[in-house]
Amino acid sequence: MGLRSFFDSVEPHFTKGGKWEKYFPVYEMVESFLYTPKTVTTAAPHARSYIDMKRIMTYVVIATIPCILMALYNTGYQTNMALADHEATGWRAAIIGGLGIGFNPANPLANMMHGLMYFLPIYIVTLVAGGIFEVIFATVRKHEVNEGFLVSSMLYALIVPATTPLWQVALGIIFGVVIGKEVFGGTGKNFLNPALTGRAFLYFAYPAQLSGDSVWVPVDGYTGATALAVAASDGFQELAARGMSWWDSFYGFIPGSMGETSTLACLIGLAFLLITKIANYRMVLGCLLGMIGFSLLLNAIGSDSNPMFAMPWYWHLVTGGFAFGLVFMVTEPVSGAHTNMGRYIYGALIGFMVVMIRVINPAFPEGMMLAILFGNVFAPLIDHFVVQANIKRRAKRHV
Amino acid sequence: MSDTENQPKGPIGRFLALPSDSVPKTIFVAVAVCLVASMIVSAAAVALRPLQEVNALKDKQINILQVAGIYEPGTDVLEAFQAFEPRILELETGEFTDKFDPASFDDRAAADDPATSVELTDDPAGIGRQAQFVTVYLLRDDAGEIDKVILPLHGYGLWSTLYGFIALEENGNDIFGLQFYEHAETPGLGAEVDNPRWKALWNGKKLADENGELQISVTKTAPPAGPEHHIDALAGATLTTVGVHNLVNFWMGEAGYAAFLDNLKAGEI
Amino acid sequence: MAHKRRDMLIDPMVDNNPITLQVLGICSALAVTSSLQVAFVMAIAVTFVTAFSSMFISMIRNQIPGSIRIIVQMVIIASLVILVDQMLKAFAFEISKTLSVFVGLIITNCIVMGRAEAFAMKNPPIDSFIDGVGNGLGYGLILMMVGVIRELFGAGSLFGITILETVNNGGWYVPNGMLLLPPSAFFIIGLIIWAFRSWKPEQVEEREYKIQTVEAH
Repeated sequence: MGLRSFFDSVEPHFTKGGKWEKYFPVYEMVESFLYTPKTVTTAAPHARSYIDMKRIMTYVVIATIPCILMALYNTGYQTNMALADHEATGWRAAIIGGLGIGFNPANPLANMMHGLMYFLPIYIVTLVAGGIFEVIFATVRKHEVNEGFLVSSMLYALIVPATTPLWQVALGIIFGVVIGKEVFGGTGKNFLNPALTGRAFLYFAYPAQLSGDSVWVPVDGYTGATALAVAASDGFQELAARGMSWWDSFYGFIPGSMGETSTLACLIGLAFLLITKIANYRMVLGCLLGMIGFSLLLNAIGSDSNPMFAMPWYWHLVTGGFAFGLVFMVTEPVSGAHTNMGRYIYGALIGFMVVMIRVINPAFPEGMMLAILFGNVFAPLIDHFVVQANIKRRAKRHV
Repeated sequence: MSDTENQPKGPIGRFLALPSDSVPKTIFVAVAVCLVASMIVSAAAVALRPLQEVNALKDKQINILQVAGIYEPGTDVLEAFQAFEPRILELETGEFTDKFDPASFDDRAAADDPATSVELTDDPAGIGRQAQFVTVYLLRDDAGEIDKVILPLHGYGLWSTLYGFIALEENGNDIFGLQFYEHAETPGLGAEVDNPRWKALWNGKKLADENGELQISVTKTAPPAGPEHHIDALAGATLTTVGVHNLVNFWMGEAGYAAFLDNLKAGEI
Repeated sequence: MAHKRRDMLIDPMVDNNPITLQVLGICSALAVTSSLQVAFVMAIAVTFVTAFSSMFISMIRNQIPGSIRIIVQMVIIASLVILVDQMLKAFAFEISKTLSVFVGLIITNCIVMGRAEAFAMKNPPIDSFIDGVGNGLGYGLILMMVGVIRELFGAGSLFGITILETVNNGGWYVPNGMLLLPPSAFFIIGLIIWAFRSWKPEQVEEREYKIQTVEAH
């Protein structure tokens, strides 16, 4: 029996009057994930575009592939490096030992395998925990489970550190799905990015583990600091002394949240998103200009006591979650601004805020996540003023 | 107007029967309400003042008892505190002074008063002005010898100034305990300065090494001076930790109690 | 009559709760709910002030000139608040330190003013008193609910008694630090309102806008 005919044969059970009528969203989720949806919009107005939601979401997932690969490689690489002075323990060590791969950081395969064993559990937990809540809401509210969750869960898994306990991972994504998205009516009506909402929840709920203060390399007894924490306490020049050059940072061979470290991988994703027109270049441009402009201003002002003032923009670009946030979060169409002028302002606001939080706020070394959430909240207001300005301008033309 | 009072009698009745919005009535009600309210409020304030003052004093004394390790719930605070002798210390000379009465001396007011304080140029604790006179508390044993000294200290953490006491043994070098009684650090992170387990880490640490160099540190990793001078940082609270490190070093150093501690070691107190 | 008075007392708990239905008194609900003990004292203080201010205002309601109505109400409320503050400082010093400015801010708690203006000005003293108690308790109920969640999961204890031994004290429970921060009360109150309105759908407000639907041709 072919897959299509299987779906066709079970479909009557899920449609109105069938015995599993309540679970139609679950059926729809699986079916439309595998096949192009056969339904079309019934009510006016019809938006005509070759980009439907399914395609957007699928393309974003494709764009994260370089980041996923780097996440696997770098997580394994950092762990194996740290293991040089420590004993490997636990089930991961047992499996790797059993396979005979070893922990040599110079061996890419060993790194990938070790990284995979950190990434997979987190990703699976994200999918299951978030998915359960997604399906509950879809069933109760009678809307479909769509590919949006696939994107949110992938992004979420990439922005948590490898050291995060799995129960925290689950709690975060549930909070993200419920508070960040479902309470506002589900995909398309959320004004916050669900993945970031979940991450922000973890950040404030369990700051001792997640504020970017202590290092995120999953080896017991290993201590160190993330690039931004080092820069905040000792200045960015100190990074080189700790063996983190700008190029390391750019390629992503530094400790950090799993998918965020490699600026290069993010930029590859960005190129893909821009070419396929999923991402709007205005937001990206605005964000870059905002970040560069404000960090140049702070460079010029200078400070005796706060070494972050001197951090140049090209360091801001490659450290922390800036590149990842820029590519996958700022450009997210639902929670961002919807007018063209608004998109520049929205981007610039985020770029400005990220430098503001990193440099001037003493408590948080990393600011990208908070800056984007801040931008999300302001996006409707920005749109409102852009529209009002437009109305006024046009009214003037016709007095 | 209520329906039952249709026949106002006497001057009071006639007055009450005036329409509420008339000018005399408005003034009368305003004055009457204010008068009654102010009498109640001031009566309460006057009647309760002694109790409140005892409470405020007790609160401070409890902190001192706690840092000296002799407080338990149910302790009679006022009686237990009799064992402590408050003295005013002149920081520069490290000697006690009788210029002020310890019972009425206000440390915080003294830090703001230009006559009794100096503006700091080198200010690692982030306190701005430092009083030249502070109230310290001496705990004597049965033989009348000094057993512990309780020294107040304060400094800036992440969000707020932390106010506390440090208790030292009679040799002026061994720490008995450290306790903050007022701060507004992040709950769950910086506010863990109040965690009994963390506070217990201070017990038995030494301020200075054999050469008299101040070595006490509150950091993530132990410095070369050795574990007897090191207290582990608070997890996830870098800046509060730095603040505590700085303020302890500031107050135990030259600008703080160094002269007093030298006198104490020399047995001149 | 007795039945009506019982309703006055019970109504503000769920059906007409000042926090979840009228969304009043949120400020203090955010600030004082990180520990149950403090939330409890605050609930009592607000109940006391609402009940007695409503009663006193109701007693003189026929004499209060409309032009200085609000000022008279404020004077009475403020005096009661100062009274409460002084009492706490004298008899519950530790708690008054944590409550600090929030006792004083009961003056601006919309529930107190709201009941004075909406109920006490039109009803006899005893009814007003009962109404004040009911509203104070309705406020207290939500405060306690938020307090239970925040203290239990944020610090692992209830009324200061350890229930879940936290990691920092050598136990197993990793406390949720966000619950100790005031904004978390927003989420919790929001979720409580959600739960209340799912339970009693008649509390759901009407939409301020309507999405137009057009029949497909």
